[in-house]
Amino acid sequence: MRRIAPAIAATVVAALALSGCSQPAAESNGPVELTMWTGFTGGDRGAYEGLIEEFNATHDDIQVTMEVQPWDTIAQKLPSAWATGQGPDLATPNFDSNIVAKYLDTSSLLALDNVGDGDTQINADKLAPAAIDAFTVDGALYAVPANIATLQLYYNKALFEAAGIDGPPTTVDEFRDDAKSLTGDGVYGLSLADHETIQMWPILQWLDGGDVVDADGCSVLDSPANIESLTAWSKLVQDGVAPVGLTGAESDALFSAGQAAMQLNGPWAATGYTDAGIDLGVAAVPVGVDGPVTLGSTVPLAISAATKHPDEAQEFLAWWTGKDAQRQFALASGFPPVRTDLADDAELAANPVVTAFAAALPSARLWLPGVADATRVDSEVYVTLIGEITRGSDVAGAVAAATDKVNAITGCNG
Amino acid sequence: MQRLVTASTATPAIRGTRPGGRGGARRRIRFQPAWLFVAPSLAILLIFIIFPIFQSFWFSLHNWRIGADVQEWVGVANYRRLFADDLFWNALRVTLVFSVVSVVAQMVLGYWAASALLRDTWFNKIVRSIFFFPTIVALATIGLVWRFLLDPSIGLVGGVTAAIGAEPIPWLQDTGLALPTVIFVSVWKNLGFTMVILLAGLTGVPAHLYEAAKIDGANERQLTWHVTMPSIRPTLLFTTMILTINSLQVFDLVYVMTNGGPLFATDTLVTMMFREGFTNFDIGYASAIAWVLFALIMILSALQLRLFRYRDVD
Amino acid sequence: MLTSVRLALKWVFLGVGIVVILVPFIWMIAGSFRSEADLFAAPESLFPTEWTLRGYQSIWEELPFLRLLLNSFIFAGVTTALLLLFDSLCAYALARINFRGSTLLFWLVIATLMIPFQVTLIPVFIELFHFGWLDTYQGLIIPRATSAFGIFMLRQFFQSIPKELDEAARIDGAGHLRIYWRIILPLAKPALATLAVLHFMNLWNDLLWPLIVTSSTDMRTLPAGLTLFGGQHVTDHAVLLAGATISLVPLALAFFLAQRYFVAGVATTGLK
Repeated sequence: MRRIAPAIAATVVAALALSGCSQPAAESNGPVELTMWTGFTGGDRGAYEGLIEEFNATHDDIQVTMEVQPWDTIAQKLPSAWATGQGPDLATPNFDSNIVAKYLDTSSLLALDNVGDGDTQINADKLAPAAIDAFTVDGALYAVPANIATLQLYYNKALFEAAGIDGPPTTVDEFRDDAKSLTGDGVYGLSLADHETIQMWPILQWLDGGDVVDADGCSVLDSPANIESLTAWSKLVQDGVAPVGLTGAESDALFSAGQAAMQLNGPWAATGYTDAGIDLGVAAVPVGVDGPVTLGSTVPLAISAATKHPDEAQEFLAWWTGKDAQRQFALASGFPPVRTDLADDAELAANPVVTAFAAALPSARLWLPGVADATRVDSEVYVTLIGEITRGSDVAGAVAAATDKVNAITGCNG
Repeated sequence: MQRLVTASTATPAIRGTRPGGRGGARRRIRFQPAWLFVAPSLAILLIFIIFPIFQSFWFSLHNWRIGADVQEWVGVANYRRLFADDLFWNALRVTLVFSVVSVVAQMVLGYWAASALLRDTWFNKIVRSIFFFPTIVALATIGLVWRFLLDPSIGLVGGVTAAIGAEPIPWLQDTGLALPTVIFVSVWKNLGFTMVILLAGLTGVPAHLYEAAKIDGANERQLTWHVTMPSIRPTLLFTTMILTINSLQVFDLVYVMTNGGPLFATDTLVTMMFREGFTNFDIGYASAIAWVLFALIMILSALQLRLFRYRDVD
Repeated sequence: MLTSVRLALKWVFLGVGIVVILVPFIWMIAGSFRSEADLFAAPESLFPTEWTLRGYQSIWEELPFLRLLLNSFIFAGVTTALLLLFDSLCAYALARINFRGSTLLFWLVIATLMIPFQVTLIPVFIELFHFGWLDTYQGLIIPRATSAFGIFMLRQFFQSIPKELDEAARIDGAGHLRIYWRIILPLAKPALATLAVLHFMNLWNDLLWPLIVTSSTDMRTLPAGLTLFGGQHVTDHAVLLAGATISLVPLALAFFLAQRYFVAGVATTGLK
């Protein structure tokens, strides 16, 4: 009986000792092994795994393992992992492109110097300019876009027919009018989400010539154009044309259930909606007062400053953003390719989802690009602002308060 | 006070307690066997919980950036900022409301369920199992399920209200309803746990106490107040303390159902801490929130011990 | 008359309780057999109008399912076993041995309950890295092999066991270890069973911890592995619900098996 306790203690000690003994064998002359952490769970995953497989099949000297984890988990582990000199060679630190600044703060990212026109180089000037802009700091490029997405207008053809409307709206005013006409009988004209989503409301503001911050990070929420725009749209919500307080997922569910006639969403939603039996149409976002505009979102793919294989990692990024990989990815996922020189590609042109979303790239704006503490501006100020005005708060008062908060966060001295 | 010659035990001289255990003297070993007993647990707690807790306090005194070579010392600035932050006071209010309501609801409903299902009949066994089901299921999934059920447009609950002709209620989107709804789901999920522990306590009350009281002519209500309650006081204390400590730290359920929304109506202290730490990457500020919460829990626990008239080692 | 009103009320509340508890489960299990189309076409329906096994198939095909199941069993099982051992040892010392620092130790233990787990995440993650325990079983198990809740609960329980039993054994020459093993533990079976079930359940369902410790899919537990299906944009509901249903089965079984311990057995030596 008395022997059991020491036996258990011995086991524990042995386990502890063994853990130290299982060091991986030193690098032999086999292929370079790279690890990559990404947050591409759910439906997106397949296309990325396909890319990795293709890369590994065509490169004997470099093998990449992708470890998919929820975005939250990456946010929790990656800073420490990279700070302690361990962690993956490559990673998509966040779905928000503004994250690059935070990791640069702690010098965790490798500056990409293998940039140029060659096949094994990162062709930065051929990649979506908005993304490259977002990832270039002080003249150095720190990440490539793992993907780039735009939002377009999904609409339910059956509901349009039933309401007697010929086609999707093409101007802002038509947009609002159609949304009103399509509402009724348990159906919303427009499905909107205001939190936990790719932001849709900024598009509504941009259509009317409004915006959130200017180039210096100072709030322009209290401009007359903005106030008018927000008042118009929040009135629609209060009139029951669009729902209040939904997350992205809930907004998607509404459209999937055929209870909303229109929605601004990205390429990932197309398959789901068709599977759900919706008679789906995809159109360009209605043209705003300043011309066509939509929201673009890009996920940065960066290399750890502490990686032991910087050259191979950059080669991987070059391949990832190369023509073949991007063609494969676009066809598999419906996302537009991150390259701007694939516009004439026959295969891509034949894919309706890809063409629809790629067409919007030139007019796509990122959300709060280069704004200091963008996540705080988004979650504490913007989401609150939209939440308040859609629930009936006075718009002028709400934007004034929001302006103060934004300026406090971004340090603007306006 | 007697100074023992054999006071050469490994433990430092803290006055009051007598040195050397009875078992120790038996085996002529000079160290406390007690420390052998507590060693594994203590080691794990020290390495993986207590040391990190002190580290987090250290973080809270800095403008901590993970991976930075030099950390900027700010002293109590994080705490000062915290007490000036409206979101903090909101989170504090939400957390307290959540805790008080959910703990009271669970104790009342849990006690009621335990006493109603006390006897070991087949029916009771089955119903007890049913009541325990919510505790078994994974929280992330059940949060998803409840969100679906409560969706005003496509949820089951919405369908039912529509069937009786009422307007569907935006349970999780309305700023006034969100917190009660989250509390409801929390009670739903944890009721079985409370019931089981109270059941254990109730079945432990010696039958002869009841008999004696009945002989004295006690009725149902008097039996409950004068026999049951005093007998299960330690269980009640334990359960209330554990429930309070847990509910003050509520995170997973809120995160999954509302993520602190709408408009911070369900933003609890830990939800805020998580956002500050892992979304805004302000680890120092997040650690300050954690320590304020820690202090709050300690105070409330001490109050509860006082309330239940806890005497040492009861 | 009052009694029958009370009885009626009791039945009404029980009935409502049962319905409110069962409906989400039925929805969840039924939902695991529904296609996305069906889920959105008839969202208010409790049962599928179109049955499909795609949820279960996807789990089988896209995840190393058996490996995940094994990892979950190892993690939950071994940790629970260690937990019961370490916690009961510690609780015994706190309840039965009057040693210097025991009060301090007890308060230290309780204090660890009062810090949210997320606070210690990053420091523990870094510690595990330094030990080389990331992505390993020992990394998953050892830091969780003790629980302040367990120590607290067992201490309360042990204190209710009459000391006369100890005395009798001591007269027969038993030391602490023998008293612990031969007398206290057997009497504590109900509490141990309760603790075992609660901990096994908690560990089985734990999402955050395995995600922190492990990065490779092969080392994941089942709940962590299922996060692969919950996308940022698109969620595969059938798969998630199927995964939750599968996760539920071992736990429900463990609960049924342990029922006879923690309810019936407790009758003799309750948690006092």
